[in-house]
Amino acid sequence: MTVTETLPERPLVPEAPKKSRNAVRKRLLTFMPIIVLLVLVTAISIANPNFLRANSLWTALDSSVPIMILASGAMLVILCGGIDLSVAALASMASVFVALWIPGMGGWAVPLVVIVCALAGMLQGAVHVVAQVPSFLVTLGGLAVWSGIALVASGAATVGVSGSTLGWTFTRVTDLGIPSAVLVAAALVTVIGLVLQFTPARRWLISIGSSEPAALMAGVPAAQTKIAAFTVSGACAGFAGVMLVGRTFSGAPTLADSLLLPVVAAIVVGGTAITGGFGGIGRTVVGVLIIAVLRVGLSVAGVPSSYEQIFYGVLVIGAVALTIDRSKLPFVK
Amino acid sequence: MTAQVPVLAVRDLRKRYAETTALDGVSFEVRPHEVVGLIGENGAGKSTLLKTLVGLVQPDSGSIEMHGKPVKMRGIAQAGAAGIGMVFQEQSLIPNITVAENILLGAEGPAVLGGFYRWGELNRRAQVHLDKIGSSISPTTLTEELSFADRQMVEVAKVLATEERTNAEPVVLLDEPTSVLDRDEAEVLFEQIERLRSRASVVFVSHRLDEVLRVSDRVYVLRNGQAVAECVPGDVDEAKLRKLMIGRDMEGSHYDEENQVPASEEVLLSVRGLTVRGVCEDINFDLHNGEVLGIAGVQGSGREELCRSIFGALPTRRGRIELDGRRMRLRSPRAAISQDIGFVPAERRAEGMISSMTVAENITLPHIEEVCAGPVLLRGKERALADEWIERLSIRTPGSAVPIGSLSGGNQQKAVLARWMVSDSLRLLILDHPTRGLDVGAKADVYKLIRELAATGVSVLLMADSLEELIAMSHRVLVMKDGHVSGVLDAPPDAKPAPIDVLERMI
Repeated sequence: MTVTETLPERPLVPEAPKKSRNAVRKRLLTFMPIIVLLVLVTAISIANPNFLRANSLWTALDSSVPIMILASGAMLVILCGGIDLSVAALASMASVFVALWIPGMGGWAVPLVVIVCALAGMLQGAVHVVAQVPSFLVTLGGLAVWSGIALVASGAATVGVSGSTLGWTFTRVTDLGIPSAVLVAAALVTVIGLVLQFTPARRWLISIGSSEPAALMAGVPAAQTKIAAFTVSGACAGFAGVMLVGRTFSGAPTLADSLLLPVVAAIVVGGTAITGGFGGIGRTVVGVLIIAVLRVGLSVAGVPSSYEQIFYGVLVIGAVALTIDRSKLPFVK
Repeated sequence: MTAQVPVLAVRDLRKRYAETTALDGVSFEVRPHEVVGLIGENGAGKSTLLKTLVGLVQPDSGSIEMHGKPVKMRGIAQAGAAGIGMVFQEQSLIPNITVAENILLGAEGPAVLGGFYRWGELNRRAQVHLDKIGSSISPTTLTEELSFADRQMVEVAKVLATEERTNAEPVVLLDEPTSVLDRDEAEVLFEQIERLRSRASVVFVSHRLDEVLRVSDRVYVLRNGQAVAECVPGDVDEAKLRKLMIGRDMEGSHYDEENQVPASEEVLLSVRGLTVRGVCEDINFDLHNGEVLGIAGVQGSGREELCRSIFGALPTRRGRIELDGRRMRLRSPRAAISQDIGFVPAERRAEGMISSMTVAENITLPHIEEVCAGPVLLRGKERALADEWIERLSIRTPGSAVPIGSLSGGNQQKAVLARWMVSDSLRLLILDHPTRGLDVGAKADVYKLIRELAATGVSVLLMADSLEELIAMSHRVLVMKDGHVSGVLDAPPDAKPAPIDVLERMI
């Protein structure tokens, strides 16, 4: 006897296939930066075995300290979905003020400059939040304003610094030969890392960066959190300016300007999403290391340093193209 | 009569989103020179159907035929080329260009030569289309200078412009065209529809049943993603249509009506003269401790905005909101939360939760102070709290540390409810369509939670997808219409008002 089975007419609901692709992307974001870093280190060590010596490693790290400090602050702004394009200009301004103020007030110039830059960052954050001006525009305007102030204050000239007030920023800790700047940067990264790890700050930043409407409806203090991120970013920029003065013995209105691109490159290469809501300080450290090693690699390969910016530019675009979560964007502006 | 080939025939369209079935095999047709009415409750599938017809949504299965030929719509432009155009509820005209530019946007044809507008030709062609509907609007007017009603006319003319390309009669979809018009403007629109009939077919979607009955030749009733009835206006009246819209699938029992505990006499929330600019005016009501107050109203009645303003998410223009007799001035949801108010938004993915964050992080987000010692977040305590609520609400999840987005809709919603329940001092919970997109079992769980909350003295403002749900869950039902309170009905467990009585005050 044959039984004819009637299949249900309703078509089967297709399983959601999108998930796996997203999971792969997440994994890529998590491990890719470290893999890239290891590959770069290996490649350079093969080309030039001297690279793995303690001394040259420390030198590479030392030279990336300003980028590290700038990136730590700027990452916070990116995490909550904005961007701070003013960090390098603010660091330049800080270098000018430090150089101008040290003869008068000595070491007190350092905290003062950091506070001034923090206020500058806070102002940008407040304008962004209150006037609802896109952060890239506020900080692009800020970039010009801070550059202009630095130019006016310095009389468009390099301001030399003599004496040993900033000696602590550019020396080697005896016995071990560890650059003091690396320790300072490590301390700063640790503080930021601890705050992110042990307070609700990271959660607020990420919720705002992921979905600001949802964060608001959950009572996240979005305005305060964003302004705080800009403030810390400003303070970090000021501090980076101080570190730069320590190693060049001068402040100048364009001293740090070329650092903007490597800073943004370090953040996105480290795996922090440019759209916000994903990332952190650990990733940023890895990103900065990639940039540092890449710099060494370029010089080992005999590429003139004037080509560096080209690499950073391509790197930023490439890293974002590879990692951006397009499902989050209704359209790309 | 001869059998005519329908201008537009839709057969067995199905569309499923992750958790909900929006279209469940809709079939209908539009014949030449016909005005077809389309009605249904919120969530019946009307907007999905319209979006499918103009290619904004791709159906999972089923077919669309224009003039007897199957078509696949991949976007508005292609739908326009096939002869189907939509006049959007939220208008789609570009405000700062002229009427002529808008009408011929993307279909300029010979009005553009070598990349340059030939203004004379453009205006002449636009005038032709405006003449078709007998409109006196000048094609050279800047669109933003027109009244809302006039802009709607321009949209109609824009749809008619597709006629030239197809050499066949177009179908004009009108989505809630009268919702923003006053009486006189609506009259003008009805005249236009009559006029349109000679050169096009019209699909008319509206909440206003009297209008639908007046302008349509036939009316389709949508319910649960299906066309459940086809009627001719002469044979039915508004009451009959309402019955068809609501349906008869009232089982009642899963609403736990026997667990409805009478509310306290004490007033928790007192709203007086509340006005939200442009949406609702002079709203007055009291909410008692332990009471579930259902707010009924169609889209645009102002009920969503009212609830948002009570949560501090929308600024109010006038009026007082008192909690326990103390006047509240809420400038943000954060301020409302500090007053022990909670809100579950209708759009869970956009506003209700942060999909990429974990279940635990989502549960503790609004009341993070519960798991903090000073500024320090206690992860152990957070995990314990999350686990406790996962257990209490039987949230099905592999753990508290998985992204909430990976859970099913019902479990997501339970976690979103948990985030407010973690606070012992919760006084008022505002639920904006808390069962949207959930399956029957998950819905029952949410109903149970609402009952339990109310029994412990928490007051609830409830907006729901269906009227039965709203009536069954509420102690009282506040009905809103066009930004005003149009009625308040008592809904004790043994004497629930009929959905029709509520619907009559809504529409």
